[in-house]
Amino acid sequence: MKKIQYYISALLLVAVAAMSLSSCSEDKLGPSIFPDVDETLDPSSYTYKLDKFLKENYLEKYNLTFLYRMPDISTNMNYNLVPATYENSIDLAVLCKHLWFDVYDKVAGDDFLKKYGPRIILLVGSPAYDPTAGTETVGLAEGGIKISLFKVNAMQINNFYMMNEYYFKTMHHEFAHILHQTKSYPTEFNTISVGHYDSNNWQYRGDEVHSMGFVTTYASSEFREDFAETIANYIVQTDKDWNRILELAARGWATSAEEDDLEARYFCYYYYPKNDATQDLVYCEERYVVTEVDEDGVKHMYYRNDKDPDGNRIVVYDVEDKDGIDGAEAILKKVQIARDWLKNEWGVDLDALRQEVQERQATYNIVELRKQVTEIQ
Amino acid sequence: MKKFLNISLVVLIAMSSVSLVSCKNETEEIFDEDAVARLEKAKAEYADILVDKGGKWQMEYFSNDEEPGYIYVMTFKKDGSVTISGENKWLGTLGSMAYGSATSLWEVIADNGPVLSFNSFNKYFHVFADPEDIPSTDDEADNEQGYGHRGDYEFNLMKYSNDTLYISGKKHGIDMIMTRIDPNYDDKVYMDEVVAMADSFFNAKIPQVYINLPNDVRYVVKNGASSILSMYKEGEDEISTSFTHNIIITHDGLSFMTPITLDGYVIQNFIRQADGSLLCRDDQQTTITADDLSVVFGYQSLLWRLNNGQFGGLYAEYLSQLAEELKAYNKSTFVFAQINYDLNKESYVLTFNVKKGANTFKPTFTLNEIPVDENHIEFDITGADNTGTVYAQRCPAMQALVDAIGSTTFMLTTPSLLAPVNMTLTDSGNAANFINVTL
Repeated sequence: MKKIQYYISALLLVAVAAMSLSSCSEDKLGPSIFPDVDETLDPSSYTYKLDKFLKENYLEKYNLTFLYRMPDISTNMNYNLVPATYENSIDLAVLCKHLWFDVYDKVAGDDFLKKYGPRIILLVGSPAYDPTAGTETVGLAEGGIKISLFKVNAMQINNFYMMNEYYFKTMHHEFAHILHQTKSYPTEFNTISVGHYDSNNWQYRGDEVHSMGFVTTYASSEFREDFAETIANYIVQTDKDWNRILELAARGWATSAEEDDLEARYFCYYYYPKNDATQDLVYCEERYVVTEVDEDGVKHMYYRNDKDPDGNRIVVYDVEDKDGIDGAEAILKKVQIARDWLKNEWGVDLDALRQEVQERQATYNIVELRKQVTEIQ
Repeated sequence: MKKFLNISLVVLIAMSSVSLVSCKNETEEIFDEDAVARLEKAKAEYADILVDKGGKWQMEYFSNDEEPGYIYVMTFKKDGSVTISGENKWLGTLGSMAYGSATSLWEVIADNGPVLSFNSFNKYFHVFADPEDIPSTDDEADNEQGYGHRGDYEFNLMKYSNDTLYISGKKHGIDMIMTRIDPNYDDKVYMDEVVAMADSFFNAKIPQVYINLPNDVRYVVKNGASSILSMYKEGEDEISTSFTHNIIITHDGLSFMTPITLDGYVIQNFIRQADGSLLCRDDQQTTITADDLSVVFGYQSLLWRLNNGQFGGLYAEYLSQLAEELKAYNKSTFVFAQINYDLNKESYVLTFNVKKGANTFKPTFTLNEIPVDENHIEFDITGADNTGTVYAQRCPAMQALVDAIGSTTFMLTTPSLLAPVNMTLTDSGNAANFINVTL
């Protein structure tokens, strides 16, 4: 009998528990309280032409929202930021299309950016300063879907190097992040410069990072940034500038400052003020070096600004490369990994991409590009 | 087993009671519409308010509590554009006042509530939110380190009442107001009037003014020209008790950034009165005034100029005669006169500046200033230096003018009681006789 009571009690307990747990399950979701967004553009709007351009060329084609009207909430609230100017937003909208989206369409196929491209591009007028770290962010890729381009208000449309550094390079840099956030690159890349990254003090470094195997100082902050910087710089740097990076990477660098001096400046030339090696040597910059080749084809280097006490030209020497790193080889090795990864994982030819970008960078006409917006009816 | 049954019973009762109450729906509908619908409605309402009646507004903008506030005139259009005009020292390149006007974009967006966002860059407005390249500063200045002025460009829309929008900076939380203005007002004219208003309140040459509370307590106010007022209770130690508060000069008066409490009185907004003083709009009692004019005229730091052409009646006649006599005496001309305190002579002096060729002669007369009441003053001529004596003998009109000044009770008037940098000394017995003086 007690056993029967036990079973009845247990049964009731289970039943009531089940009722307790299921008693609220009949609630149903009603219709959304959020209104349908009317995406019809108003021709009387001040921004109609740009909005129409963005809708046709980004939203409808790539499902990408190009945000040029900056809501503060779209950014890191620790930064003090301002929106982009309307005029510069037009320029960047047409340049992004010309130098980025159209390039990938041509080299990687129409569907590539539809599948893997960002879903949001946000323009920000000011740089993103981190006052405590003393750093400045020029671009951000977040979650594989959003790219933020900063410093839009400082755009100098006819200053190629400025445009390259802050905008064109940033586009490819951030897109490289999106790609590797989707498919990992070979971990072999991370081993090439292991031990030479400095995520806290990279901003104090200078051109000597090339000899450590980095294309830029920012690349020396961590391996993911190294990967993105390697791709972006390879794509946008002109042949002359790229070769210059490799040349500097192959040189020896030294400083007269203490090794732990974060702000130490490194040089790849030195001389003795009295042409006497017993004196303390002085490091100098390349701009102070005069190079001459004699009739036997031997190269001689002299200090441009002064002579020794006897009136003789002061001989300048190359700093010996003693860091044990072949910087140029490291950079080229990184490029090769990126090249293979893009080819094998994404079917993208890095060199074809570079060639297309180089041609477009060198020949674009902003007045003509703007007409895509200004001549919209 | 019995123990299990007892426990089961207790659990059964407890769970049954939970089952019975768990779905009791006690939600009361406070609002007729859901939150999103209400927010969308509020966005539309505020957007309509902004463009209504011509869409022109005065914004009283503060970026932080260590800088003055600045007035902006904004004209909102339905097409999403807004023209923003301002006139302040940050809009130029050399730290001097400059006027600027530019068109950018606006939108009422949704956040926790409706938010007015100026979401494309306007060089004359976003300068206070920009973290870099602040005009008038060099790269080494503190404000080039990524903070800027810490101003807002997005504002929570709090309330609308009587053509006034109450807003709050979304990031930094400073409360501000926007006031609708006549759409036919020209932006530049409006801003010039604001600047003129500022000039009429505070002038660096007038060292202090007073906040006069209803309980007859006065607070001394200094540095008014900087719009960062330094204040202390009259009679207390200035060094240890003074405090500062920033203000904004508006089109009709001035306002403190936030309400301040002095001796229990809460004050914030002041309206300019016809005589140039300020009356607190909040309590309709507290005023801001300068010292009595008879006291201001006697500030030992001031130098009052009596310019040619600014004499009337009898004084003008004397001056005209003096011109003839100077010409006849030594072909010299009267340039101007001045009244100031001479530290060496430890006396006020009336000095004539007389030019002969490249030389300037300064016949000087010593005098005492005698305040009669708050706006009347008399002068007691006590002597003359050698040059003064000679000129007074050779040019009787100079002596006559000095004697007339020394025998008259003058009424002092000024267009601006707070910044009386211009005064008129009028003969109390004959209003036709007057002298305009200026600092």
